[in-house]
Amino acid sequence: MLRAENLCCGRHGVAVLRGVSLTLQPGQLLGVLGANGAGKSTLLATLAGELPAMSGSLTLHNQPLSQMRPAAQARCRGVLPQSPSLAFELPVRAVVGTGAYPFPEVSPAQLEHLIDRALVLADASHLASRRYTALSGGEQQRIQFARVLTQVLAHRAAGDYRALLLDEPTASLDPKHQWLLLQTVAQLARDEGLAVLVILHDVNLAAQWCDQLLLLAGGSVVAHGPPDAVLTPAAMMSVYGMAAQVVMHPVDARRRMVCFVG
Amino acid sequence: MKSLLSVVFYLASLTALAAPPQRVVSLGGPLTEVIYALNAGDRLVGDDASSLYPPAATKLPQVGYYRAFSVEGVVALHPDLVLASDQAGPPAAMAQLKQLGVKVVVLPAGATLDALEQRVHGVATALGLPDDGGKMVATIRQQVTALTATPSNVRALFVMNRSGKLEGAGKESTADAMLALAGARNVLAAQTGYKPLSAEAALSLAPDAIVTTRMSIDASGGLQRFLALPGVAGTPAARNGRVVVMDDLLLLGFGPRLPEALKTLKAGLDAPSPAAAK
Amino acid sequence: MLLLALLACLLLLALIAAAHGAVAIPLHALPRLLLAHDLTEQEQLWRNVLVQIRLPRVALAIVAGGGLTVTGTAMQALFRNPLAEPGLIGIASGGALGAVAAIVLGAPGLFWLTPAAFIGSLAATALCYQLGQRRPGMSSLLLAGVAINVICGSIIGLFTYVADDAQLRSLTFWNMGSLAGATWTQLAFLGPWTLALSLLLLREWRALNALLLGEREAQHLGFALNPLRRRLIVLVALIVGPLVAATGVIGFVGLVVPHLVRLSLGADHRWLLPNTLVAGAIALSLADWLARVVVIPAELPIGIVTSLIGGPFFLWILTRRVA
Repeated sequence: MLRAENLCCGRHGVAVLRGVSLTLQPGQLLGVLGANGAGKSTLLATLAGELPAMSGSLTLHNQPLSQMRPAAQARCRGVLPQSPSLAFELPVRAVVGTGAYPFPEVSPAQLEHLIDRALVLADASHLASRRYTALSGGEQQRIQFARVLTQVLAHRAAGDYRALLLDEPTASLDPKHQWLLLQTVAQLARDEGLAVLVILHDVNLAAQWCDQLLLLAGGSVVAHGPPDAVLTPAAMMSVYGMAAQVVMHPVDARRRMVCFVG
Repeated sequence: MKSLLSVVFYLASLTALAAPPQRVVSLGGPLTEVIYALNAGDRLVGDDASSLYPPAATKLPQVGYYRAFSVEGVVALHPDLVLASDQAGPPAAMAQLKQLGVKVVVLPAGATLDALEQRVHGVATALGLPDDGGKMVATIRQQVTALTATPSNVRALFVMNRSGKLEGAGKESTADAMLALAGARNVLAAQTGYKPLSAEAALSLAPDAIVTTRMSIDASGGLQRFLALPGVAGTPAARNGRVVVMDDLLLLGFGPRLPEALKTLKAGLDAPSPAAAK
Repeated sequence: MLLLALLACLLLLALIAAAHGAVAIPLHALPRLLLAHDLTEQEQLWRNVLVQIRLPRVALAIVAGGGLTVTGTAMQALFRNPLAEPGLIGIASGGALGAVAAIVLGAPGLFWLTPAAFIGSLAATALCYQLGQRRPGMSSLLLAGVAINVICGSIIGLFTYVADDAQLRSLTFWNMGSLAGATWTQLAFLGPWTLALSLLLLREWRALNALLLGEREAQHLGFALNPLRRRLIVLVALIVGPLVAATGVIGFVGLVVPHLVRLSLGADHRWLLPNTLVAGAIALSLADWLARVVVIPAELPIGIVTSLIGGPFFLWILTRRVA
């Protein structure tokens, strides 16, 4: 399991975030909320092995992440960064297929099947024959989502640990596809036992789909727990600096909704 | 070097014993000029891009520039003799030519009287005309000796315009050799080869005469413009109109026309109020 | 499929190029020239021309074209830039500097020219890589390359100033690039060397595809960036160094051909790399054949032919794509 204890992370020697302890549990969705500059992406980059931990411990299967080869890390963790780009015109299926690169043992037939499945899950099957660079930003985002799904689903035996780190995956998606993406992620977490960390800006979307929320502000963790427990007006004030009311969802009485009032 | 040359002459004399070659390719303008001067131009079946004199030489098939000639191009002309300057190349091409069994005679390209004599002897022997070669060498030697008896003693500068900028000739250049034979003193003796001319240096060297080529004058846009160039204007040579303009190949060819070239050069250098400038 | 078509095309072109030249050899005589023992005098000459001059040259065109192009493709992926080519990291200018130094400092004979060029290209690339390592990302490597190229260029200029007339001409000749003078001895090394290293480069297709997605993405897919960069640059330098040393600087092939193949095939390096390898061999064979035959019995420098054809062709492709 990917586990951080008292983690301090930052870039170029400047600490951005301190004292983060979290465990990405199989079957669970951990949502990360915070204002711009709160250190969400720095946390994700550290968990993704791009940035070294400045202090504290960061382990994957009880082994320090810094001592694991990227190839070994890639076999149990997929990452979807923000603003994907593509230098040259790669066919859409080839882009999705790159997700299977850490698994050379996957046969061509298995790969084709895997790509089909990932495209369906990302609701992007109809984009497979289009040119990647001709796709819209949101469509490209869905292709990239299919790519990381391929990576976390490839050659997976029951019980294998797979972590999925998503950095604002809903940023350029329409409401329907935001909904569909998180529904897919939640379902995969449940059915395939994926351990998911997702950075979101939409508090209510996070409240609806995440099992746990991590609220960041002022360089440290403000709250960490189930949505119902952490989404309070006080927490919203310290995270976003905005007054908010927490009300009952008009359709589903068990759920809470956050309304910002200024 | 000596032994190499003797081998060349040995090979050349062997060639002479057999039937004289009838299909000759020349790699190097000076050799071509010698061949024509020996009245053997009709035996040439091809030459290179530097073979510009006599004009008939430019009508022949050309196998490229002699320093980068095409082996196949030579072979395709079915030569029974290739006369090559020792500057012909690339070396790999020369090796391939010999490998293919083509008879190759290599002759020195240097700008000295000795090298010229070796060139004439070598070409003549290879063509089976050793007596004509001997006569030509004797004539050249006699005329050159007569011309060098009265040195000009002028402080001279040779410049040439190949690429829009003036270049001056230092020692170890053909132009320097010509100035030396004419008895003139090269003001750029401190440098080696052709180098871009510094206008300031040219003024401070204050040459009494400037020697240049017809093509350089054309490249400069005519004599008046040439005289106005920085580095030329302001020199005693330009002030007094002592500028000697000569045909490029005549001045720098170092071939059988050497006596004629020297005569023209000396006439220009020694003229009290030079006609060449007018 | 395209690969097979390209291979057939290359074979056909090699046959034509072998038969066609200043010395005309009938195509149907080729098998006899290579196999028979009872040759006439005319046929003996044909055979010598074929075996000693033309075939090594065609073979060198294939080896150099393939090597320059496949490395160009890899460099474009590594730098995520369609204008990248091996020359970007100092290979060509370092090689030229080595050769020029050998010529001007008067190395005995021309024997030292090739090793000097090879050492120059490797040294320049290594220096480039070292300097580019100081900061993360490819831009510092790129800038180091630009600086190294400028420095090499200026030292070459300095050598040119010192050089005498004969040396200058050797310099110019070397700088324009040429396939003339190809020998079987040279090919016995260059052929297997280039092929083996190119195959190693072909095996990196996954890494190159991953780099197209971005450097972070490549790392997330399991590629250790610094070792990967080092591996690619070492492979490129080891392939191109000896080629530059053997043929001089032949520009444009490594830049244009990958672009053309990518336009028709897409950028999936699994197929792109082998296809550019063959397409590059075709392009340079074609260029060399034209260089040999358009001004018979003389020849054009190959670098002029590649730029003369490649340049306008490149522009045509670009304008057509916009329209």
